[in-house]
Amino acid sequence: MNTFEKLRRKRSRSYTLASLPLVIFTIVFVLGPMVYMVILSFLTRAESWGVVAEFTFDNYADILEPVYLESAVQSLKLAFTTTIIVCAVGYPFGYFMAKLPEARRRLCVMLVMVPFWTSSLIRLYGWMIILRANGPLDSALMALGITDAPLKLLYTYPAVLAGMVYALLPFMILSVYSSVEKMDWSLVEAARDLGAGAVRAFLTVTLKLTLPGLMTGIILTFVPSMGLFFIADILGGNKVVLIGTVIQEQLMKVHNWPFAAALSVILMAMTSAMIILYRKVTGSKELEGAI
Amino acid sequence: MKKLLSIVLAAALVFSLAAVSGCSEKQETLTLYTWEGMFPQEILDGFEKDTGIRINYVNFDYDETMLAKLQAANGGDYDLVIADDYIIETVIAEGLAQKLDLSKLPSYDGINPVYQGQFYDPTNEYTVPYGAGVQTIVYDPEAVGFEINGYADLWNEQLADSLGIIANYRVINGMALKVLGESYNTEDLETIDAAGDLLADLAPNIRLIKDDYLEDDLLSGEINAAIMYTSQVTGAKMARPSLEIVYPEEGIGFGIMAGFIPSNAPNPDAAHQFLEYILDPERAADCFEYLGYYCTTLAAEQYISEEYRSFLTIPAEFADTEMEMIENISAEADSEHALVWSEFKTLCGQ
Repeated sequence: MNTFEKLRRKRSRSYTLASLPLVIFTIVFVLGPMVYMVILSFLTRAESWGVVAEFTFDNYADILEPVYLESAVQSLKLAFTTTIIVCAVGYPFGYFMAKLPEARRRLCVMLVMVPFWTSSLIRLYGWMIILRANGPLDSALMALGITDAPLKLLYTYPAVLAGMVYALLPFMILSVYSSVEKMDWSLVEAARDLGAGAVRAFLTVTLKLTLPGLMTGIILTFVPSMGLFFIADILGGNKVVLIGTVIQEQLMKVHNWPFAAALSVILMAMTSAMIILYRKVTGSKELEGAI
Repeated sequence: MKKLLSIVLAAALVFSLAAVSGCSEKQETLTLYTWEGMFPQEILDGFEKDTGIRINYVNFDYDETMLAKLQAANGGDYDLVIADDYIIETVIAEGLAQKLDLSKLPSYDGINPVYQGQFYDPTNEYTVPYGAGVQTIVYDPEAVGFEINGYADLWNEQLADSLGIIANYRVINGMALKVLGESYNTEDLETIDAAGDLLADLAPNIRLIKDDYLEDDLLSGEINAAIMYTSQVTGAKMARPSLEIVYPEEGIGFGIMAGFIPSNAPNPDAAHQFLEYILDPERAADCFEYLGYYCTTLAAEQYISEEYRSFLTIPAEFADTEMEMIENISAEADSEHALVWSEFKTLCGQ
């Protein structure tokens, strides 16, 4: 065995040691709860409190109730709508932000990040105040003579959508931004020199090169929006029933833990499918461009 | 220098620990385990001053958390717990509560019999009720063009998109059960489904479903009528006395918060002393005005001030009306309720 090999062995051993905390963390906080959840989803609800260790598929069969299937459809619908709006607003935002001069660009990044300094719940309550009857927006519309009676803005589907887009937009902006920022602009110039119009150069060069950033943004928007039930609760007045809402209710109010676990497994499967799709589309193995 | 500092700090730590442990040896404590804000500060301070017993007030958010802690401590750690009726049934069934020593509670007779002998403690051996939630309808008579007398009136088309309800499926489904003339606690799945069918017609009237701060939406004009928790009703009525509170003609549903002493409480004697302290009619009146829940101590009703009396005490004319508690039901019936509730919420969003 030569010195080089010895060194390599030693190094790999210390790597193993160094990664130990990560392995333990993953087992305790990721794998453990996940296994627990899957096992729980096959157990039976106890008559008064907790669960009994009786194996059953009933919890999965119960999901086939139309109302619970509908909640999954509602979640998908809201997630898709949110993602499309976030793309439409976030992509140009991130694109133009990356093309700003250095000083203004930094300021812009700062401003996009500032909302993260306060709790998202508090920001949602801010939206409630803005949207409520006789609130700032309603009063402004009436003062301008656009409406003449208080509107019902709060506790509606558009209010939920506004809240979702607001909460998730920064993820799209920042991923697109980082992807546009590191782009090689000389390729766009080359395309233009070779006779491509502005639109064609954008579609064939810029869009392709920033696709990983866009896809990351889509994942970072779509996956959380499948689970963000509290926005629908707060701004939608609990009337938009998402799969997350059902899970929370089954867990906290009905105390039917196995059913909540089964729903969670389904939710996880749905979001995992999205990530697999992402890998297929982009051919990459990791989220790119995320800050 | 650094060494010196660390020695000084270590010494300070040792002394402070000694001081703390010395203190607890001398002074008797009562570990009170309940939600935050259940007593006015004057009552807590007054008890400490009058008895010399220090109160260690520990909070929980959910009844379920309390049950889990109590199970882990095997009925120990806490001297007095105040929680909701349905969880106390489980606590007693699991043997985590001890019987009260009534000889230490001379004021026990002052409790309103309406709130005694209920499902969670049928023989009144374990609990002292402390505040009741009574299900009423609240509405703004200026915004609602007709008089509301019972649950059935909530189905009126004039209330379209203007009714707010709490996210409590036993209360809301129960409302429909009451309109059908059924019990809150029916375990018949077809009856529960029938309530669901009735609720489907109510969906167009629902503007909002939420548990927290529902009274704010009534006060801001977002909704014109509401089914709320009792403390929210009290809050709304205090903020705007012109609101109407209706005792539904179909019958009154209610829930009780009650105190019990865990089976292995370290200081059950102090717990009895505290229960006796808050059963005192005048102090009880202060407590219920602060709490905003219905007065469970009959002897205290005369001390409740005029502005609160109309909604912290059950009106005499309802004494004979059937009142019913929401009790624990079979898992199957409960799941059916949850299903009916999800269907109803989905319809509300359409």
